[in-house]
Amino acid sequence: MRRIVLLLALALAAAGPAQAQFRLDINRIIDTAKSAQRAAGDVGEKDEIEIGRELASTLLGAAPLVANEAMQRYVQSVGRWLASQTERPDLPWQFGVLDAPQLNAFAAPGGFIFVTRGLLERMRSEAELAGVLAHEIAHVLQKHHLKAIQKSGQVGLATGVLSLAVQDRNSLARDKLIAFGTEMYSRGLDRGDELEADRLGVVIAARAGYDPYGLPAVLQTLQAMNPEDSGLALMFKTHPKPAERLEAIEKQSPLLDAYAGQLQLEDRFSSTLSQK
Amino acid sequence: MRTLAASLLAASILVPAACLAEPATVIRATELKKDPASDAPTVAPLAEKAKVDALERKGGWTRIKTEAGAEGWVKMLALRYAGTGETKQGDSGVAQALNIARTGTSGAQATTGVRGLDPEQLANARPNPAELKKMEGYAASKESAAGFAANASLQPKSIAYPKEGG
Repeated sequence: MRRIVLLLALALAAAGPAQAQFRLDINRIIDTAKSAQRAAGDVGEKDEIEIGRELASTLLGAAPLVANEAMQRYVQSVGRWLASQTERPDLPWQFGVLDAPQLNAFAAPGGFIFVTRGLLERMRSEAELAGVLAHEIAHVLQKHHLKAIQKSGQVGLATGVLSLAVQDRNSLARDKLIAFGTEMYSRGLDRGDELEADRLGVVIAARAGYDPYGLPAVLQTLQAMNPEDSGLALMFKTHPKPAERLEAIEKQSPLLDAYAGQLQLEDRFSSTLSQK
Repeated sequence: MRTLAASLLAASILVPAACLAEPATVIRATELKKDPASDAPTVAPLAEKAKVDALERKGGWTRIKTEAGAEGWVKMLALRYAGTGETKQGDSGVAQALNIARTGTSGAQATTGVRGLDPEQLANARPNPAELKKMEGYAASKESAAGFAANASLQPKSIAYPKEGG
């Protein structure tokens, strides 16, 4: 019944002669669809990917890719190999290095992952890169950002409506999604989501054949830095303190130690990143 | 040949970096081991809050030097850098770099050109579909990523996720 009402509303909106009218209707549909959507639960994978593309595009609007194709392809390969070891191996996974001096990493729904040049420059091996990418992959697997968007109730996400909104390049719904997305990346996820991503991330890195101590090693690098460092401001605002994350990861020591002899690949990492 | 030259260059950069001594504190009483293994001989006991220099990491172990000059290995997660209460100094230079970019020589014009990932910069970000398309063009297929892994002898394993708190 809900679906029929929604379809009717959509049909009416589509029939609207003027573009302005269409935009207005889309927003009303989204508002009325909100309660229905809360009951409906999961967003479909197609919509999840579209939301992710929009947020990824916005992050790229804040900082473009580092202009180094060898670096970008290398990070794509490491990330894709990790993602293949997960429960969602067939998402259109994308990995990129953002040209920003700050130290951070981001994930968007549907499999869009970024690490900043500032963070990459502090890493010493492919295992460390894998640890960070695996943490971000875990956010996508657990749909942490998607759940945060749904929970906010700010953006109507009824199946079909959002795709329509995203397709309409000028819709207010699309602007709302972008505004909420940037705010979400500034505010961060729940502390529990971050610790869960660490917990899953070290396992994903180990599954892919890497030394799972890569992620804790990066956290130690961050922990060793001046917490007032301006490059860490957003990362520290949006994540639990590195010492707290290290303490939580230490509970997984038996598992980490079982695979600690796996590859770190310092040479492939440094030789690839020194290419232009 | 170019790869070899690149590796050599990289190695020459990497080795000194990995050997840089980093001041750290031992967070709980533990043992300094001769080798990076729990069953290796003990070189010396380490007291809680002992000050050490961290030298390099191998798996879950870090090679350290104690204040008394003893060298050996300790569990990596038993270390915290620049112990609590001490002032960590320095800045990666992001603020300075951005300040320079912001003030620049051409004043206001430079400000609009600054992009980055601070909250205010994020808030003003607009989608960049061209850059997204570029990223998608670099994407690795599942198959090519498997080949990339095989080139480095990365072996996939089947490992279950842990339960929360365990």
